[in-house]
Order: sequence, then C-alpha cells, then structure tokens
Amino acid sequence: MSIKDKVPVTILTGFLGSGKTTLLNRILSEEHGKRIAVIENEYGEVGIDQGLVINADEEVFEMSNGCICCTVRGDLIRVLGNLMKRRDKFDYVLVETTGLADPGPVAQTFFMDEEISSEFTLDGIVTLVDAAHIDQQLGRSDESSEQVAFADVLVLNKTDLVSDDALNTLESRLRDMNRMTRIIRAENAKVPIETVLNLSAFDLDQILKRRPTFLEPEYPFEWTGVYDLDAGKYELMLEEGPDPEMSLVALVNQGESEEELKDGAESSVRLYAEKANTLEPGKTIPYGEHINLKLDDKGNKSFILNIEKPTKIGLFTQHTAEEFNMKVIKSVENKEIPFNTERFWQAEHEHDDEVGSIAIERFGDVDPEKLNTWMGRLLSEKGVDIFRTKGFISYSGNPRRIVFQGVHMLFTAQPDKEWGNEPRRNQLVFIGRNLNEKEMQEGFDKCLI
Amino acid sequence: MPDIEPFSPRGMFHKGWTAEVSDYAIACGWALKGKQFIVGDVAGGIFAFEGDTGKIIWEKENTHSGGLLAMAIHPEGEIFATSGQDGNVQICNCHEGKVIKTLDLGKGWVEHLKWSNDGLFLAIASSKKVYVFNEIGEEKWISEDHPSTVSAITWSNKNELATACYGRVTFFDIVNNKTNQKLEWQGSLVSMELSPDGDIVACGSQDNSVHFWRRSTGMDAEMTGYPGKPSHLSFDDSGKLLATSGSERITVWSFIGNGPEGTMPGELCHHTEPISSLAFSNKGMLVASGSRDGSVVASFLKNDGNGDPVGAAFAGDLVGAISWRPDDCALAAVNAKGVVNVWKFKVRTNLFSKGFK
Repeated sequence: MSIKDKVPVTILTGFLGSGKTTLLNRILSEEHGKRIAVIENEYGEVGIDQGLVINADEEVFEMSNGCICCTVRGDLIRVLGNLMKRRDKFDYVLVETTGLADPGPVAQTFFMDEEISSEFTLDGIVTLVDAAHIDQQLGRSDESSEQVAFADVLVLNKTDLVSDDALNTLESRLRDMNRMTRIIRAENAKVPIETVLNLSAFDLDQILKRRPTFLEPEYPFEWTGVYDLDAGKYELMLEEGPDPEMSLVALVNQGESEEELKDGAESSVRLYAEKANTLEPGKTIPYGEHINLKLDDKGNKSFILNIEKPTKIGLFTQHTAEEFNMKVIKSVENKEIPFNTERFWQAEHEHDDEVGSIAIERFGDVDPEKLNTWMGRLLSEKGVDIFRTKGFISYSGNPRRIVFQGVHMLFTAQPDKEWGNEPRRNQLVFIGRNLNEKEMQEGFDKCLI
Repeated sequence: MPDIEPFSPRGMFHKGWTAEVSDYAIACGWALKGKQFIVGDVAGGIFAFEGDTGKIIWEKENTHSGGLLAMAIHPEGEIFATSGQDGNVQICNCHEGKVIKTLDLGKGWVEHLKWSNDGLFLAIASSKKVYVFNEIGEEKWISEDHPSTVSAITWSNKNELATACYGRVTFFDIVNNKTNQKLEWQGSLVSMELSPDGDIVACGSQDNSVHFWRRSTGMDAEMTGYPGKPSHLSFDDSGKLLATSGSERITVWSFIGNGPEGTMPGELCHHTEPISSLAFSNKGMLVASGSRDGSVVASFLKNDGNGDPVGAAFAGDLVGAISWRPDDCALAAVNAKGVVNVWKFKVRTNLFSKGFK
C-alpha cells in the first residue's frame, strides 16, 4: 500500500479553551466533500456537530524497556484498529487530544505500530494556542511547551483579545521555540482549512517540494505598510532617523490579510537575500527589488513611487516607519496617504524558554560514518529532550540529497532528489528542551569533510 | 477411468460453499452443533447460514448502532451474544436470530465477549470494566475499574475469569467476588490465551513480545524478537503447542519437556502478508491461519512446533476470522469484503477417515 492509499490523520492539540473544538467544528462544517472521522479525548462543553465521532479516554502505554520512543497511545491503536475496517465510511481522521496530552506518544503511535502505520499516515500536528493565556501557560507547564514544540502548524487563536504588539512579541517567542512550525493568526479559530489539513508534514519529499527549507524565515525587516494608491506620482518622505540608510522592498498588489502579508514577507525575505542597490534621494523606487535608501543628507529625503494603475503597495522596510517618520505623499495634491494596514516583524528576540529550536546550516559534504556516530550518540543521550528533528544532508560521494526526520529517538532517513548543480549544503533543525547549541554545532562541524 | 472424481486442486480443502454478507466480516462461528454458521459484519449485520449448504436461514442488519465489535456463540450452540459500539450486548436465539435479552452497559465500546466452557456465564469487557451475566442475562458480577481498557478476557475454569489490560493479567473468582491472582508486567498486553488446563497464561505485548506465566510455579518468561505485535495466539487442545503471530510468520512454541524456554520454536512461513487470524482445530495438531493477502493455510504440526502445510486456499481478501466446525470437518473463513468461504476438510484420525459423506 502506498502512502497515497493511507488515510491521513491530523492531530489537534492545545490547552483547554484554546479553541480546538471550535476549529474541529469549523473543519467539519466547511469540508462537506470529505468524510471525516473524529477521535475525541476531551469532552468539552461544546459538542461536535456531525460526523463519525468516537470518544476515547487517553491511554499512554509505556513499554517494559522504559524507552520513551516506544511509548504509544493505546486508545488510538484500539480505535483506529476498528476504524480501518470501515474504510468506506471516511477518508480523513482528526484526533482531538486533551489539553494535557504529550504529543510524542501520539506521533510515535503512527511509526511504532505496524498495523496502524500500514493503514494510516500522520499528516500533521496542529497546535492551538490561546493568545491571551499562552504566555502564562508556557511558564507553568511542560505540556504546553511540548505541544508548541511538536507543532507543524501553530494556530495563534483569539488574536482579537490581544494587542498587535503583544501578538508580535508572542509570535516571536513561539517562533524561537519552534522554528519549523507555520504560525497562523486567527480569531475564533477561523483559519483556511488548507492550512491545517493535508499538510503531509511527515512526508519530507512533499514538504521540500513545496518549500525549499525546513526553517521558517527570520525576517530581515521590521515593518510592513500597505498603501492603497490610485494611479499617479507619490513621494516616500523620510525624516532624519537613527541610521544613515534603510533598505526596503516594495511589492505591488500586496494583500492585507495575515496570510497575504506572510506571503509578501516570504517573497521579501528572498529579495532581501540579494545585494541591495543603493538609491539616491529623488530617484524612483523600483518594485520587487532590494534597494537601499541613501539617507545621510540632512533634513527630509524623498523617493518617488510611480503608480500606473490603482494598486496596493506593500513596503517591507528594514526599520519601522516611525523611526524615520516615513510618509507617503501624493505629489500633486501634497496630501499624505496613510497606510491601510501595518505589520511589525520582530527580528531581535531574547527569550529564555527551556524549549527552543537549534538550526545548523553548513555548506559542504559530511562523512556518513562520522555523522551516524554523532547523531546516534546525540539521540541516545538527548533523545528524551529532543522532540522533533528534520533536515537534509549532503553525503560525500552520494549524488542525492539525504532527507531525515525524527520524533524523539525514532529516526528515518531517505535519499531524495539529485543535487545536480546546486551547491552542496546541510540543514538540520532540532526542537527540544535545554539543548546546547554551541556543542551541537561543534559536533556537527566535526562531521564535515 | 470414468469413475474417478477429480479433486479440486486445493490439497485438503475441498469445495464447500460461499456466501456474502453486507460489510467487512469480523466475527464468525458454528452453532447448533455445526448445522448453522453465523457471521457478523462490522456494520452490525448478522447472518445465519445452513452449515452444509450455505443457504441463508435468517439475517438482520444494524444490530448495534455504530457497529459490531464482538460475537460469541454459546458452547451448546443454541444461543449467541453480540456487542458493539452502542454499549449494548444482545443475547439471541440461533434458530431465528431473535433477541432474547438486551444488556445496556453504558457508553463505552463493548469489545470482548466470552462464554464460560459450561455455558453458565457470559463475560463481557467494556472499557475498564468486566461484567459477568448468566445465560438469561442476569447480572452476576462486576469488576472494579481496571488500570486501562481491558484488552482480552478468557475463562480459566468454570468460576474463574482472567482479564488482561495494560500492565497485568488478573484472575477473578466471580462467584466469591475474590481476586485470585495478579500477574504483573509493564507492557501493553494486546492478546491473551490460556492453555486448556488453565495453567499457562500467554499474552502478546505491544512491544513485539509474548509473555508467559505458569500459574502453578509462578515462573514467567518473555519471548522477544517478533517483527510485529503478536495479536494472534492459539493453543492446541492438549496444551502442548502455542501458535503465535504478529507478522507473516507463525511462531509455534512447544511446551513439551522443559520448553519453550531455551528451545527453538517452530516457524511456519506460508504467507506473504501478516497473519490476520489463527486457530487450532478443536482436536489435534492442525492450525489454520488466514492472512491479510487472503490466503488461508492449514498446517499439520509436530511436537516441536514445526510442520508442513496440508492445504491452502484463497479467501479473496483480508481474512477477518476463521473457524473450524466442531467436528473439524470444515473450515470457514470470512473476509474484509464480506465474503464467506466454507471448505470441507479431510481429517484422518486413528479410527476412521472423516470429511466425505
């Protein structure tokens, strides 16, 4: 049976009150075409509207060998074992865990039990966090930080109850804990369904085809403003600020939703990777390019924005608009056009969460034997504290890229596409508790040839 | 040679009959001393066929809302019990399929049913509790909550019931409401069989091992190295051999002499996909196995647990359950597509050759 024939399973985790059942009901009501079976560990006050719903108490089964990666969820084995006999009745499974569930055993069930793994595939782990309360929860309980650490998608829910500033700070804290996860902001668990279902998050080929990296970007810009502009000539005016220059990317047709802003940000991250062209005051700002505004003259400086037909312009700026009192002014009328939407991206972050992500990115080849020894040792010593691992490796002498992933000590690696002309490089991401970044980087560096 | 009847090329399986039920068949068994064959499907359909011909006698659908989970035929063969996701147990009459009594045990799935050998008691496992009722559906005993969902139940003698769950096997004297024995093992026990004399307890464990206990001596042993969890276990009627499987291989442990500890088990490698059902014949050393690939094989075993296939057939799809007729002259297999296959089976005994009329 190929992976295509297997039934995908999405795990919904999150503390009580984070909105799991709301999201579940939203999925059930919006996905009419899909027949979804629901396994529910938590019987909240909100009932589930429809679908094939099975209640089961969470049963965590540890094995006699004491190995935590062998720990599985007996309730899921039992219920899924029965569901597999009713394959004609459903084509997707959602598991809603309790707020206190450890996602490790849930994920391991899909790798450790042959019967389950032959029929089901873990599609992804979606963790909901209550934006108003997660800060306290993270401080108080291991479970909530583990749920954040395991997430393929983090839904930052109830954003309407929290200020934008607080949201940005929170997002950067969560990002630090889990650099592989996708963060989606939502009110009342309203997220596009395709952002939580059919992720194939454990199918590395698929992920790398869609996105060339396991790492979510750290943004090289601090601010985005979206301006709704009619055709005409505009000036971008900046006063004196803390820096003699500021780089920016201007994008046309920039949407204002969180999703569209993220897309714009992602394009901008790529553009920012290119060397910036310096632009003198009075010159026209080109679209879709990384440019560096020259600001060392005294007084106000203006740059030109030419709009041929009405559009929304997104400015992704290195520093915030406020720092330079940056304004967009319509030239003829000399009228300031305020932004429709602004979004802050926090680049700097100093958090002291125990749970965090470590990314190692290195060009070159590694020695397979040395890497095996290092990795084997790392996982046997720190496996309990390493929640998830993903990455790709360039083995010397091997024309193909090796991709791998792990949950605690369970680890799989497989050859992927050929490198071709692409520069050989390695990317490893570890999410875990109290990991020593320097030691791990040094360990990996010793495996490089 | 016109008087020679050609054999269908099926070794010792001979043409019997086939029939169909509505959904994935998960349970089956012989009633009325082999005159009737009852099949239950996952959706809650129950079907009774004539044992010899496969002619339908009665059928009913949707007996348990949410689906059927277990079925057990009374040893006398006049009544049977079914249970399902609706938390109910129905005791029914085999002749017409009529419900004699419905037991409502609450919300949990009712996953296991076992009649005691003398037929006086019906043991029922639902979530963490085990219940015992008599033949007419009167409650006789209820256990306390087990530490986890009960994964297997079986009678060790007429008043003593064994239950398995995460971490332990417990023996209850259900008449005197006493716990007779607790055997502990940190692991998730997924299956349990007792030797016919009740002394040997064998459990398949989630960590791909089989654990044994001998109740008389208190000795226990762990047999590791299974490629998958041993969900399928079967003792032969003498208690000499235990067939176990968690993969496409069947491993047979022999309890003759000092075994099985320290001995090499017998291995039967007749299937290409994992075993989905396993049953010794009612008498003798024949073990029948059904696999996910639809193959059904009967093997004749020697004292050391090794053996040879004596017959094989194709059941069409994953074998949901198999059942020997009480006289072992027929073998039934039901599959995931709802197809019922019954083959006549030739058995040699010391007295005479049976199986042909």
